[in-house]
Amino acid sequence: MREMTFTNAAREGLAEEMARDPSIFVVGEGIGARGGNFNTTTGLYELYGPERLRDTPISERGFTGLCTGAAMTGARPVVDFMFLDFLLDGMGELINQTAKIQYMSDGRIPMPIVFRGSIGIVGASATHHSGNYYPIFTHLPGFRVVVPTTPRDAKGLLKTAIRSDDPVFFLEHKALLNSKGPVPEEEYLIPFGQAEIRLAGRDATVVAIAAMVNRTLEACAELAGEGIAIEVIDPRTLAPLDIDTILESVHKTGRLLIVDEDFAPSGIGAEIAAQVMALAFDDLDAPVMRLNGLHTPTPYSPSLEAAVIPNTKRIMEVIRDLLAE
Amino acid sequence: MAVEVVMPRMGWTMETGRLVEWLKHNGDTIEVGENLFTIESDKAVLEVEAIDSGILHIPPDAPTPDVDVKVGATMAYLLQPGEALPWQAAAPVTSAPFTPANEGNGHIAPIAAHPLPATASDSRKAAISPRARRVAREINVDWSTLSGSGKHGRIVERDVRAALRPSGPAVRATPLARRVAADAGIDLEELAASRLAAGASKHISRADVDAAAALKTPPLPSPAATPLTSLRRITAQRMATSAHTTAPVTLTTEADATELVELRTKIKSDVGSAPQPVPSYTDLLTRLVALALLDHPGLNATLQDDTIVLHTTVHIGIAVDTERGLMVPVVRDAHNKSVGQIAAETARLVEQTRIGRAAPDDLRGGTFTITNLGMYEIDAFTPIINLPECAILGVGRIVSRLELIDEMTEKVAVRKMMALSLTFDHRVVDGAPAARFLQQIKRWIEHPYAWVTR
Repeated sequence: MREMTFTNAAREGLAEEMARDPSIFVVGEGIGARGGNFNTTTGLYELYGPERLRDTPISERGFTGLCTGAAMTGARPVVDFMFLDFLLDGMGELINQTAKIQYMSDGRIPMPIVFRGSIGIVGASATHHSGNYYPIFTHLPGFRVVVPTTPRDAKGLLKTAIRSDDPVFFLEHKALLNSKGPVPEEEYLIPFGQAEIRLAGRDATVVAIAAMVNRTLEACAELAGEGIAIEVIDPRTLAPLDIDTILESVHKTGRLLIVDEDFAPSGIGAEIAAQVMALAFDDLDAPVMRLNGLHTPTPYSPSLEAAVIPNTKRIMEVIRDLLAE
Repeated sequence: MAVEVVMPRMGWTMETGRLVEWLKHNGDTIEVGENLFTIESDKAVLEVEAIDSGILHIPPDAPTPDVDVKVGATMAYLLQPGEALPWQAAAPVTSAPFTPANEGNGHIAPIAAHPLPATASDSRKAAISPRARRVAREINVDWSTLSGSGKHGRIVERDVRAALRPSGPAVRATPLARRVAADAGIDLEELAASRLAAGASKHISRADVDAAAALKTPPLPSPAATPLTSLRRITAQRMATSAHTTAPVTLTTEADATELVELRTKIKSDVGSAPQPVPSYTDLLTRLVALALLDHPGLNATLQDDTIVLHTTVHIGIAVDTERGLMVPVVRDAHNKSVGQIAAETARLVEQTRIGRAAPDDLRGGTFTITNLGMYEIDAFTPIINLPECAILGVGRIVSRLELIDEMTEKVAVRKMMALSLTFDHRVVDGAPAARFLQQIKRWIEHPYAWVTR
């Protein structure tokens, strides 16, 4: 199978969808002739021009509201925030309008809109460009939240996001953008709410989010040398969350760790832990554990930045702690 | 506010400490600076003093003596009068039990989901994981008698499954038979299996257990198993590291120590002006070796990563046998000290070390080590290098022997011979310089005037 980068695979998905459906258009800062800060739209301006690749001023709340209105009228906007941190200026529109329109209209008004942006702590981007934020959106009724980790998933999930009639956050971790992986030639879509078991094991289950999937797999490869077999689950979508795959794994292993670069308090790990406790209490042989990034604004200094993110060594330590419970 | 008392870090390399004993009791009022407990760490026993005042509260799950405790782990709390423990303060409020009397006044009494023990000293029920509890139910195991292998003794799934040996028959025994069997060390499952094989009933009574006990041969005394003390573990680690990573070569020679013995005898007998304490051979050799090392800096070296550091000062470690094991106190700047000073200092260091009160700094930083086994009638031996140093001198016994002292006249005389063993790390220093160093030591032992005048 051919190999592609995460970014190129996602862009191929966007291009295929734009070719299929003329009601799809992209809005954002520098996504026109420039092709996007993260090359999310490179080459598309030449194909579809300024009408469907609409550069904007720095006015997040404005274009978030405009695109919400466009989606109400049946268009399918893709709002490209570059860094997801910039979307925070549009929160009022997002939470009060975008998320609630379907409910307020008794389902008569659809909301087929995609919000995409880069997340994650990478390369001394400092605290205004390092947010993860997904628990904010999984907390709110009405949103879908997608965190792909492989090029194949990035393309298949973006196509599903664009075809969804619900508002979707498509969150691309910066550490993954240049990672390569196999991507099928033929068209495919990946449904929401289906986790992927990246590694099968019997001793403990680790649910890892976004870039932490790769870190966890590295840790598990080292532990495998000691005969420790960990099952690694990549949820791929956080809303909807495929809790069944996690429960099935916990039923097998009895032990669960959630590895998440994002903050622990009220985070996705807390949600998964609570659901597993409620639905599989009798399967747990040890307390559910979490390993998160430190609860602090992200430091700019590269050495301090490295200290706030869970690394492979730390993941190994916590897995050992979990097995010792 | 409750102040945590934690395992302190007493040196940069310290990862864990072993609690030796509490010097204060639960409930004692503690002032700043009072000693709270002693720990054993990195070869030394140290007293740890309070850096806050308050009433000492040692929780029931606090580390017990002889258990390794991670640096920073909570040992106890210091509370102010009337102050609750942190976890008790955070506990949900339990209200009066639900009775018809308060049923009618319209409010619903909250009931604590997890009633907490009234006092922290209450014994806790054995903890079991939910999964282990489910498995115990499924495979019909009474978990209340199991001991857990999980954290803090929690019973986990594997404990429950281990309790049910798939091949063993279900044991049916009277309670009395069970008690007698436990006292006599009889495995009821084995007994049941053998009875089943012999065609007997699988019901076991006291008589059956007594019969089995009569047949049972007394067990051989089992070898005494003692957990490693932290000192033993550190010694084991360092010796293994040294043995595995160095390229040790041992050179042995004999020195004619007659003059050295005479020198010491004279010092000893000169009651009026002899330094106190009287210098031992080890003290004399410490001074001698320190001076020799100034002439042979290649042996006064440590290997640090990829760098050989040639030290300009000489710190001599002296191997000391203590009740707790091998310790190496260090005489600092031995090249700048007189024999008398060295004797006084080693006497103090050895005493402190033997009673386990040496400070961590007294036990590290050596550049060369001397180990003396002469008192055990040992001649040559192969000492292990005390890393990161690159050489160690083993001193053997002094023995009187007839020696040929003049080949021409074939004259023999009784001489006092001393065996010397120098182990050096061939990664750091070559054989010839090491041999030259040992030769100088030999010559200086034979002619003390050459170095006592320095």
